[in-house]
Amino acid sequence: MNEHVKNVTPETTDLSRRSFLVGTAATGLVLGYAGVPGIDHALAAAPAHFEPSVWYSIAPDGLVTVTCGKADMGQHVASTMAQIVAEELGASWKDMRVQLASNDPKFNDPVLGAQITGGSWSTMMNFDAMSRAGAAGRMALTEAAAATMGVPAGELVVGNSVISHSKSKKSMSFAEVVKSGKATKTFTPDELKAIKLKSPEQYTMIGVSVPQLDIPSKTNGTAKYGIDVMLPGMVYGKVVTPPVRYGATVKSVDDSAAKKVPGFIKAVTLDDKTGTTTGWVVAVANTYANARKAADALKIEYDGGPNAKLSSESLLTEAKRLQGLSDSGQFFVKDGDPNAAFGTAAKVLEAEYTTNINIHAPMEPMNATAEFKGDILHIHTGNQFATRSGAIAAGAAGIDPKYVVMHQMWLGGGFGRRLDADMTVPAVQAAKSVGKPVKVIYSRENDMTMDFSRPLTYQKVKAGMDGDGKLVALSHDVVSAWPTQRWGIPDFLSPSVDKKGPLDAFTVNGADFFYTVPNHYVRAIKNEMAHNATPSGQLRSVAPGWTFWAIESMIDEIAHATGKDPALFRVELLDGKGKNDGGAQRLRNTLLAAMGLAGYGTLKLPKGEGMGVACVSSQERATASWTACVAHVAVAPSGEVKVKKLTVATDVGTQVNPDGIRAQVEGAALWGMSLALFEKATLKDGGIEQTNFDSYTPLRMSQLPEVAVNVIANGEKATGVGEPAVTVVAPAIGNAVFNAVGARVRGLPITAEAVKAAMKA
Amino acid sequence: MPNLNINGRNMSVEAANDTPLLWVIREQLQMTGTKFGCGAGLCGACTVHLNGEAVRSCQTSVADAVGKKITTIEGLSAKGDHPLQKAWIAEQVPQCGYCQSGQIMQAAALLSKNSNPTKDEVVAHMDGNLCRCMTYSRIQKAIMRAATEMRTASATGNERRAT
Ligand code: FES
Ligand code: FES
Repeated sequence: MNEHVKNVTPETTDLSRRSFLVGTAATGLVLGYAGVPGIDHALAAAPAHFEPSVWYSIAPDGLVTVTCGKADMGQHVASTMAQIVAEELGASWKDMRVQLASNDPKFNDPVLGAQITGGSWSTMMNFDAMSRAGAAGRMALTEAAAATMGVPAGELVVGNSVISHSKSKKSMSFAEVVKSGKATKTFTPDELKAIKLKSPEQYTMIGVSVPQLDIPSKTNGTAKYGIDVMLPGMVYGKVVTPPVRYGATVKSVDDSAAKKVPGFIKAVTLDDKTGTTTGWVVAVANTYANARKAADALKIEYDGGPNAKLSSESLLTEAKRLQGLSDSGQFFVKDGDPNAAFGTAAKVLEAEYTTNINIHAPMEPMNATAEFKGDILHIHTGNQFATRSGAIAAGAAGIDPKYVVMHQMWLGGGFGRRLDADMTVPAVQAAKSVGKPVKVIYSRENDMTMDFSRPLTYQKVKAGMDGDGKLVALSHDVVSAWPTQRWGIPDFLSPSVDKKGPLDAFTVNGADFFYTVPNHYVRAIKNEMAHNATPSGQLRSVAPGWTFWAIESMIDEIAHATGKDPALFRVELLDGKGKNDGGAQRLRNTLLAAMGLAGYGTLKLPKGEGMGVACVSSQERATASWTACVAHVAVAPSGEVKVKKLTVATDVGTQVNPDGIRAQVEGAALWGMSLALFEKATLKDGGIEQTNFDSYTPLRMSQLPEVAVNVIANGEKATGVGEPAVTVVAPAIGNAVFNAVGARVRGLPITAEAVKAAMKA
Repeated sequence: MPNLNINGRNMSVEAANDTPLLWVIREQLQMTGTKFGCGAGLCGACTVHLNGEAVRSCQTSVADAVGKKITTIEGLSAKGDHPLQKAWIAEQVPQCGYCQSGQIMQAAALLSKNSNPTKDEVVAHMDGNLCRCMTYSRIQKAIMRAATEMRTASATGNERRAT
């Protein structure tokens, strides 16, 4: 897989060294970086129709179309990018439009140098570049208008897509300036950098809940997702996946019964050199209904391969064995010497925390449509990582990645699932085999059993307190499959503190918290068995979804063991000393805000009810959104947990679209609750046992608690909001359960049986 | 070749009688607003109306739909301005949006019979429709908003008739 991945980041991606051009083409004003093939072409040739090739364009009718290189999976990121551009450009919101980018490197993230959407990074990392692009456009338009009006550019005011001169009462709309053809300007990188952007008090667009541009199309059935792609002459593929998640091979395929299905074309056994899939067959037919029938009629014999006997239990046993070895894993944090400190500690606590396998299950099942046209392989699918996925598709086709064009679609849910490219493999190989475009659609059963899941995790945490109950030492071992290492891209790995080679920080992020603990070890241990048997992926929030489960539960356990209030104990630990300065204070304030809003410690609760707190610095130390939650639960004698209310506070620095942020935070918090209570997948005989929404059961409307979302915007830099609230909810619920009935549950999901058993214990 | 009446139009389709209506609507008639989520009646993404009743089109065969009036999201209103669609925009309900055609069709069947539902009635009626983005609270608000609009509209309509 690696050799394909290596050459996906061409040298054209460092935009910081390129000039920014504003020019007039036949179709209007185009704005983008120089030296990137698309814009030169657009400006030079000015054809009547050119491929969208730049970040945004302004048509002669004044409509501004922003091209979004980010995957839009419901976070409305395309709309957010348009909002940032519109702020500096001075465009009216009603003139803004969005479109989705292809995998052309010119749409790469200016910071990451690739097309990838995840980590709640998008707003944070694109804010500056999009702002500057907007401002550059405004300056070019203003200068052109000034020349036409015969007034100094400095006296012009821009707003609502109109450039006006108050003294002479002259004005020109953006449309008129574009039609004049005079707006042309080149910014050197230094000039672009020197543009003075608006300060927050000058904002008229950022911080306003403008309606999201994609929403109307999602109320009338017109938004096009990958599954909706229709190509002329297209046929359909239905995958048949083996009973084992990974490692099976096809021994034989008997298609004699499938041949009786009308419209059946062929059964294609995948030869996947990228190693993304193993033992898959695609039944190809003229309609999807027939492809399904044919798939059901295929008789396939498998060799189950090396993982065919593994189960969740075996993965957990292996994790415990690895944790017990003194030399396994690599250090992510190594401060002081916890082992020595445990020797002198007045009190030592030890606990194990686990999470089960979790499945993304976005509502749109995985799908992809592949078409070979001349030299070019066209892939139509909604994907979060076009740069890598294009390379995987190329690998499946046996061609160079530069011949692959990824056509981005709206994503019917991503949550990290669509960072992967498995769906392109059957589409590509089927299309190649039958010589026609093929749309492959997974059944829900394929989608669930072949998920790149959140891995089963096992964590052991040991804490040492001094005579005053102060936390002086913590050692934390995290054992899991390594989802990001699976990508084979060295840039996404981090050096280990003990120089034992790179580690997958996306398995331990969050464990490097902002509490001040003088002796602190965090060890990342790869569970090779789980890594091979359950190829894991990035599930909304990734590591902080499990690291904070352990940390925030343990902090509570320590507080209770030392007779302190768990919330105030956290406040004490967030003293902002040393490297924690800044972040710790923001997190403390956020926690206090959530406590106040929830009535923590002031509301009198009936028997069987309790409140629990947690606070997190998800996603990463460097990119944290400071998030706290107070969960209010009622626990029945049966052990059943009912969440009455989640109070979430989150410090996001700067809000681009407050209503959009609230939607994301609420969705994230409910994801956290769903993972905490309702979602559990298990491995048996090498296969995922849950196949549809009857056995894998995300939260439904009847399980909805009251959710109070409180956003703190204090003018700091904008941070991400799609994930952090996922991570704070499970520990808050676990801690609330303990406060309600004295039951400490250390495994996710928290089931009624586990609560009942812990109540008795 | 079964004959179907979809969104007021008669169409003959080429499909075996046992073909799920969902795939005929989506892939053959290329009306892709109706979505596939589970294929097992567990998610509601594929919800359409048969003679005004909300049904799961993945669990309805073409043969069962013959002779009935089929309505999909594309046919719910002429201009996408059914009170529910307007309320969905006003409350900014959709995130990824994939489940929302099904949510709206499911809700429309409720409001056509009961334009003053209680919250419990809404939950009971909507519980079979999954939203993986967890937009449930906005869905509830939008249904209540649309119900209010429909009641007001029919009240003013009645007044007009009375005069
Ligand atoms: S697709 Fe029909 S109920 Fe899920
Ligand atoms: S809006 Fe994404 S599934 Fe409902």
